[in-house]
Amino acid sequence: MAFINLQNVTYKYPLIKTPVLQDINLQIDEGEFVAVIGPNGAGKSTLCYTLAGFVPHFFKGEISGSVEVAGMESSKSTLDEWILNVGLAFQNPFNQISGAKYTVFEEIAFGLENIGTPREEIKSRVQEALKLTGILDLADRSPYSLSGGQQQRVALTSILVMQPRLLVLDEPTSQMDPIGTREVFGVIRKMAEGGMTVVMVEHKVEWIAQFADRVIALKDGSIFLEGKPHEVLTSDALAENGFGISRYTSTARQAKKQGLWKKDRLPVTLDEAVEGFALTLPSPEGRGQSR
Amino acid sequence: MHERLSFYIKRDSVIHRLNPLTKLTLVLTLILLSFFNPWYWTPHLLVLLAITPLSFVGKVGAEYFKTALRLILPAASFLFLMQAFFQPVGVDVIFKFYFLDVTRESLMFAFSNAMRVFVMVSAFTLFLLTTHPSELMSDLTRRGLPGQFSYVIISTLQILPQIQAKAQTIISAQRSRGLDTEGGFFKRAGSLVPLVGPLVLGSLVEVEERAIAIEARGFTSKSQKTSLHEIPDTGFDQALRWSLVILVIISITLKLWLS
Repeated sequence: MAFINLQNVTYKYPLIKTPVLQDINLQIDEGEFVAVIGPNGAGKSTLCYTLAGFVPHFFKGEISGSVEVAGMESSKSTLDEWILNVGLAFQNPFNQISGAKYTVFEEIAFGLENIGTPREEIKSRVQEALKLTGILDLADRSPYSLSGGQQQRVALTSILVMQPRLLVLDEPTSQMDPIGTREVFGVIRKMAEGGMTVVMVEHKVEWIAQFADRVIALKDGSIFLEGKPHEVLTSDALAENGFGISRYTSTARQAKKQGLWKKDRLPVTLDEAVEGFALTLPSPEGRGQSR
Repeated sequence: MHERLSFYIKRDSVIHRLNPLTKLTLVLTLILLSFFNPWYWTPHLLVLLAITPLSFVGKVGAEYFKTALRLILPAASFLFLMQAFFQPVGVDVIFKFYFLDVTRESLMFAFSNAMRVFVMVSAFTLFLLTTHPSELMSDLTRRGLPGQFSYVIISTLQILPQIQAKAQTIISAQRSRGLDTEGGFFKRAGSLVPLVGPLVLGSLVEVEERAIAIEARGFTSKSQKTSLHEIPDTGFDQALRWSLVILVIISITLKLWLS
């Protein structure tokens, strides 16, 4: 049986008439790295909350269908149990700083203290997690004195340290620079290879193409497309329905109409684009000097 | 931006190393002694012979004097003047100020009350200067204070300055769009309206997100919480706490017995 199993899930927030999630069917295996894309209001964050148990345990509202994660069934378990298996980090890093701690080290230890981890184990696990996400040098700083990107790393680290079996991330790199984004994607990929299941909402499609195992495109609360990253991200339907797509894909699509793109596959990343255009465009003489 | 609502000064001293509960007991003892004691001069002696020397033992003497001069002394002086003039006790009039009599008794009374306030505030100042708020809270939580309670205290101390900073950002934003914040009282009061809306609504949204964030980290988990830092509670601490309690009892008994 799949690690995550959603059957006909429909969900309505309290006081809102239209459902935010409509008839979602989704199976995800353990250790899979799944990226979720979609326009604003597509239900991406609600899907995250559902997987993390906050829908319906925190938000209330009406839910139908069945949600199963890591052998737990949402209707038969409490948020308390879910938290031990599922970690959630979301977009705004400022609101994820607990406010109860004065240093980054203590901030990351907060979750472990709450679930009653012994002191020595807390220390070693926090140390390890700080090393993993590359913020060991921030350990003694106040979490409020950090930049947005650094706070996002702290938020991610404070969830990773709890070693959840499922990691749910809602735009965890939105305030990071390209180098930070690459590092974080690298860390998450490594966690997935170590057996952690990852579901990540992300707009940066070029990174998804390189790191994710599968892409789910949500639109108006339903699954619009699902499949291998490359297939989904380069499909014509995606571009026609208001999804954000890679600039390399749209450039190559235009070029294809002009007969300048010869490959079958459209590119998502810069490297793929360079490789494809190299077939048709004359290579400039002495490229090294002219740049 | 980095300013926090905390008086704590990080130094290494005997006082800093005491258990927070011991320090709290010491503060309460000083306050109780200044109210319930058999001798008139007790509060004055407490300031001179206990609190002031302790501030030097705790290596926060300079900060203590700064607070005392700027905050405690003006407040205590004000209280002294009010009580000296308006306390209708005593017959031994020293001087008259229009219809107000200042008597020897009202002066004595005002002086001792002002000193009590001085003891109270200065003892707490000393406590706050030498105790890290999170250390105090985790120690009290370990002794059975609900976790939610200490969370509210600590997070307020940390988040208030952030809200202040946000208010400043909103004011700047509104000004850049032409809001006039200069002028008379009513104009200034009116210009607060476009500030309050975004600030309050924004904070409410933040509260929900923060609730989710700490919930995701097991804040209301039913398991027994642990603490990253070990807060030492030595035999000396315990002995000191008991002696202080005994001291208070003796002082109250003497007071009752002698009066």
